[in-house]
Amino acid sequence: MQELTPHTPGVRLQRLRRITVFDGQDLKKAMLAGAASLEEHREIINALNVFPVPDGDTGSNMFATIQAAFRDVINCDDTSAGVISARLAHGALLGARGNSGVIFSQILRGLAQGLDKKQTFSALDLALALDEAQRLAYRAVIKPVEGTILTVVRETAEAAMASAKRGDDLVSMMQEAIIAARQSVAHTPDLLPTLKQAGVVDAGGQGLCTILEGVWHYVRGESGQVTNASLLTSSTTPILESTVKKGRVKIEEEFGYEVVFLLRGENLDVKGIRQTIIDMGGVSTVVAGDEKMLKIHTHSESPGKILDYGVGLGSLLDINIENLQEQSLTYAAESEAEHAAEEMQPVTHPIATVAVVAGPGFERVFRSIGVTAIVPGGQTMNPSTEELLAAVDAVDARQVILLPNNNNVILSARQVTGLSSKEVFVVPTESMPQGIAALLGFNFEADFEANCEAMAEAASHIQTAEITTAIRTVQVGGVRVREGDFIGLVNGNLVIAGQDIEYVIRETLQRMNIERFEIVTLYFGEGVTRQQAEDTARSIKEKYSHLEIEVVDGGQPHYAYILSAE
Amino acid sequence: MNVRLVTDSTADIPQDQAQVAGITVVPLTVFFGDEAYLDGVELDNMSFYSKLQASKELPRTSQPSPAAFQEAYIRLINEGADAILSVHLSSKLSGTYQSASTARDTLPDTVKKIPIEIIDSQNISIAMSRSIMRAAQEAKEGLSLPEIKAHILDELARTRILAVLDTLEYVKRGGRIGGARAFLGNMLSVKPIISLKDGEVIPVEQPRTRSKAYARVAELLREMGKIEHVSIAESSEGFAEQLAQAIKTVYAGELSFYKLGAVLGTHTGPGTAAIAAVIAKQD
Repeated sequence: MQELTPHTPGVRLQRLRRITVFDGQDLKKAMLAGAASLEEHREIINALNVFPVPDGDTGSNMFATIQAAFRDVINCDDTSAGVISARLAHGALLGARGNSGVIFSQILRGLAQGLDKKQTFSALDLALALDEAQRLAYRAVIKPVEGTILTVVRETAEAAMASAKRGDDLVSMMQEAIIAARQSVAHTPDLLPTLKQAGVVDAGGQGLCTILEGVWHYVRGESGQVTNASLLTSSTTPILESTVKKGRVKIEEEFGYEVVFLLRGENLDVKGIRQTIIDMGGVSTVVAGDEKMLKIHTHSESPGKILDYGVGLGSLLDINIENLQEQSLTYAAESEAEHAAEEMQPVTHPIATVAVVAGPGFERVFRSIGVTAIVPGGQTMNPSTEELLAAVDAVDARQVILLPNNNNVILSARQVTGLSSKEVFVVPTESMPQGIAALLGFNFEADFEANCEAMAEAASHIQTAEITTAIRTVQVGGVRVREGDFIGLVNGNLVIAGQDIEYVIRETLQRMNIERFEIVTLYFGEGVTRQQAEDTARSIKEKYSHLEIEVVDGGQPHYAYILSAE
Repeated sequence: MNVRLVTDSTADIPQDQAQVAGITVVPLTVFFGDEAYLDGVELDNMSFYSKLQASKELPRTSQPSPAAFQEAYIRLINEGADAILSVHLSSKLSGTYQSASTARDTLPDTVKKIPIEIIDSQNISIAMSRSIMRAAQEAKEGLSLPEIKAHILDELARTRILAVLDTLEYVKRGGRIGGARAFLGNMLSVKPIISLKDGEVIPVEQPRTRSKAYARVAELLREMGKIEHVSIAESSEGFAEQLAQAIKTVYAGELSFYKLGAVLGTHTGPGTAAIAAVIAKQD
């Protein structure tokens, strides 16, 4: 950092210090301050939900993304701004969670493009990079909506550019930028009516502004040494447990540790590696993938040996080691239940399907209709781009169809198409029932392109209703909701609230014009018994006698019922 | 040249039509428990499906014996046939083709030697009925055995069958399932669409409702390109008409209606509707 602060001893500076250039380490520290600020305000941002439903929390998603951005930066002493920004962008790209996370990762990508090959950068360099950042952010979304993080990054970039063109230094420019960002966030409800109705500002926009606040503190020289423990422990990605087949293992056979990791290398020999691991004492060994990327799952008493072997073959990613004795009880129970569905699943196909699924019952349904791999997640747990990428890379097929099954996962899923060497298509399913419809529309005889089209078509005909409990008191679109009320949503829109669940279900069905459909599938969630669900189905049938109603144990968290109609 | 046509009861050609066309139909046997019925002879369509629904046990089916084929061949030879074309359901679904081949190869020396061609249609039911009817017509017109054989092989190769089932239950119990086992784990109720490829049952799609399944059949038909002819079959009254309605916008040509016989019905169950499309020759 080259400070040109006018030193006037004894006089407290009213004026800001002047900084003309930053290097890579300044950028790293500024972004760390941004991350720290986001971490501090994460819960407040999480609470900025339009609908009072438990869903993907923007604050947590953005924080997970910025955490991932630092994965290869935290211990990097390189002073090149180009190098640091590129590493931040790469980490964020892989770790992006939720829509805001993906957009934020694109902002970092734009910055990195703007700072490419630059050792240091000036205010004008940064303004140009921010302009690139806002451009890429808009491009990340198919239908950009104003009143969101997009508006905030654009208006911030515009203010920065104006300031830089006036010849301002980095400090003054950041001051202009942060003022613009705050105003932009405050105006989001004027641009987006749903925000106004809910009485909140846009969460993604607020998240970005919060990061910029941290950056601003650093630039102003107010934040001291940033030591942030949670950033230093880089995010441990929840491993794709469910993409690995659970064998029917007896409890007494469980021993040692479960070792799961991804191995990236060249000319990897699947069979040879599998055999070597088995020879090393690996039990229940699964090695899947291709010559460039393998997913390895095994049980071993000495996980270190297996990892050492892996390191000799290439680089290891997403290493997860768990003590099996600790988990064996639940593991055995799950494996029994899953086995029934899996026994029927030996059919391999050149096209693989990967779905994001929440709830053990839904997992069973997806497996029963032939999904190749499952990435756990959904409403409250948006998987990162990296997790989706790992699942796509691990399946034994060159063509992969990805089913995000949630509005807030679609963007991260789309990122995978550019990152994987495989041919990947995202069917933009917004709910698990849509994902199921898409999967049922999979034509075993058709090629990749025809299937992508057919599955998207199949998904588009599904109406999804959800019954959950309001997590706060709010008024949305004319519906008054009190915390703890049951609420009904149709295709993601809040339509009814009330204290009696039967009433809420009845009204929700009426608003989706249930009488025009033929078959209703009622997936009951965690905390609802089959008996209760059957009773609910019976009362629906009493009113709409022509409907065929199927009751299925979905086991989904938070949502008492997820209902699909077609 | 006097060429005579032989097939088996799975061709689902109604008795009267077969008689008029001069086609000899050798029946398979359907067993309900210990009771045996000759398909299409001792058991008509209506009574089969009512028995099927009433019976706790799934019926079994069995191919005709080589003796039954020999009897048919010898009768035709005695009637003055110069050649016989014997067309049967996919050898991957039934031993009928094998039985007919054995019959030909073990004809007694006392029987006059004539050419007997036995064809594995790699198809079943309406996916072969029209081809056999046309072959019979060509035989009446005096075409030679090689000509008729070439034509029927060509048409059979251009024929696609798509069947919409009410449930997978019968396919599952019948065991003639091929690649359609991919559908068996399904925890949701569906109206599966299955087809035949290289003579084996293959899974196509799994729509949740009948109307969707019919719409998909229409769409799949459209994707086949130019269609020469479509046959429609049903296990029970009404389904063929619904399916015909669904494909009307895609195919405006002539439709032949059939009933799915007992053998196929045993493996697909009541509530099945199917189309067989002959794709136009590309020239």
